[in-house]
Amino acid sequence: MSEDTLFLIYELIDVIISGLTNGSVYALMAVGLTLVYGVTKAFNFAYGSFFNLGGYLAWLMIPVVGAVGGYVSIFIAVIPIMFIVGYGLEKSLVAPLRKRPEWEMKVMMMTLGLALFMDNLYAVVFGGRVKSLPPILEGTLDVGDLVFSYQDIMIFFLSIGGILLFGWILNNTRIGMAVQAVAQNPEGAKIVGIPEKRIFAATFAISTAMVGFGGILLSQKYFISPMSGGAIMVKSWVITAFGGMGSIRGGLYAAFIIGMLEAFVGYTLGMSYSMIALFILLLTTLALRPQGLMGRA
Amino acid sequence: MSWQRMAAIMGVVYGIVAILPLFVGDIRFIMQILIICLIWAVVASCWDVIMGFAGIFSFGQVAFFVIGAYTSGIFAVSWQVPAVLAILMAGLFTAGMGVLVGLPCLKLAGPYVALVTFGVHMTLMPLLRGDIGIALGSGGSVGILTIPPITLFGYAFSSANIIPTFYLTLALAVTCSVVILVVINSYWGTAFLALKDSEEFAVSLGISAFKYKLMVFALTSFLTGVVGAYYGHYIGMLSTRMLELDLFVTLMVMLVVGGIGKFPGAILGAFITVTVNELLAPLGSYRAVTMGALVVILVLLLPNGVMGFWLRRSKAGATST
Repeated sequence: MSEDTLFLIYELIDVIISGLTNGSVYALMAVGLTLVYGVTKAFNFAYGSFFNLGGYLAWLMIPVVGAVGGYVSIFIAVIPIMFIVGYGLEKSLVAPLRKRPEWEMKVMMMTLGLALFMDNLYAVVFGGRVKSLPPILEGTLDVGDLVFSYQDIMIFFLSIGGILLFGWILNNTRIGMAVQAVAQNPEGAKIVGIPEKRIFAATFAISTAMVGFGGILLSQKYFISPMSGGAIMVKSWVITAFGGMGSIRGGLYAAFIIGMLEAFVGYTLGMSYSMIALFILLLTTLALRPQGLMGRA
Repeated sequence: MSWQRMAAIMGVVYGIVAILPLFVGDIRFIMQILIICLIWAVVASCWDVIMGFAGIFSFGQVAFFVIGAYTSGIFAVSWQVPAVLAILMAGLFTAGMGVLVGLPCLKLAGPYVALVTFGVHMTLMPLLRGDIGIALGSGGSVGILTIPPITLFGYAFSSANIIPTFYLTLALAVTCSVVILVVINSYWGTAFLALKDSEEFAVSLGISAFKYKLMVFALTSFLTGVVGAYYGHYIGMLSTRMLELDLFVTLMVMLVVGGIGKFPGAILGAFITVTVNELLAPLGSYRAVTMGALVVILVLLLPNGVMGFWLRRSKAGATST
């Protein structure tokens, strides 16, 4: 093989790794979004702002726990905070809207206002300049001529671990089974005595915890900037719709497909085209299969 | 609400606005705010028609506004098309885009429609800033800076002679509002409402969902496009900053304040919101935070907007007498 082809192959491998790492975090976020829509039918426009909330909370923690080695303590501290914030917000803001006519539209409007509030609050509190998190693990893994950064590997495995843990919770714990029951048949769930309202709040809280976790993971590779929430939200939303709303497996496949697509479009055409490519993919999918890849018709 | 009542409220609001220049005509700043109010009043009303009356979760209204503004700007700057003709062409082009966006939305459920239309919004920024936009004449990240003002019979309606421009804007806003008023009180408007309340039942009665949903997309995007194009010629320059989230949310505040599906409400909402927004200006960077918090609070506490408040009071009065 000539030098040039070898170089090209290495670059392609880089692109694939970037697609896999981003895809894994997207999968985490899409699963959270699809869960909350599938169970509560409430659409959360502030999802991307919760992503940044996770990033900022982690950034605040760094001086306290002493940088690099402290990621475990960051996870232990930030994820419960995200859960509590999500639970409180659902109880105080989303739940009162549920009884109103056309509440789905009102929830969308309310959460969009919440997104504007949170994004600009970050800009005021943390300033417009981007913040960065240290890598979770420094150094690289060399396999022959190939170089993998430990950071990418950790992000990939932690996201996958998060999804697996989530799947385990959903299938094996009482609360997980109650969530599934409410998603499948809200009336039936009520009859057997499942506290529906509490499940709604818990589901919302789990999804904010997941997206916060994603925020901590992905903010190490990129930066935390106050206004980036909108793009993150649209991305997770496109993934959810592409995979089929309410279908967790569909969301998983969709996240990796879109992570790869984004990496390749970014590599060949430039990053600014990735949003256009995403949108074209979404339109084609919805035209051919309105319910998404794996959604129920 | 009866159409007479809608017309009466519209007449009072626009009547008050029409005589305001007698008192504040000398203050340029206030006149400019009034013109902006009138422009947003039309855009918010269009959004109300598609969302409140037809029940389609369209989040693409700002996108259509920007499409209209840019189309007209490009026609006027790159091809030297006269402003009035450029505005009309922009309206037709935006209506075409509206139908194009509406087509995939026909079979989709609410959140998907919101996603597709909001996707148009999100895609527009990279498109206008990137190579494709520059090739079309969007001016990239700088925008279009030298859009000629509207000229009618040799008279230029620019911000230099603000009072005639104000009355031209008023005429445009009244025309658009009357069109909306007529449409929602016609057979079409009833069809929109029927499709919103129960699509299956409406279709079984022979109302074509295909036809009326596309019609609502075409109508609202045409009006929004025309107003957007007008805005471009009035301001004289355009940039992609209009696509940021604050303008979108501000429009949404107008709708929430006015009451969704309570037609002349959106007009009132536009006036109240623009005024409050200007009053909040001393807050500086806290303004957007306050606007966001306002949306949350208003959605929770004011379910039907000021119009709902008004209607409930008049209803209570009717039962007590």
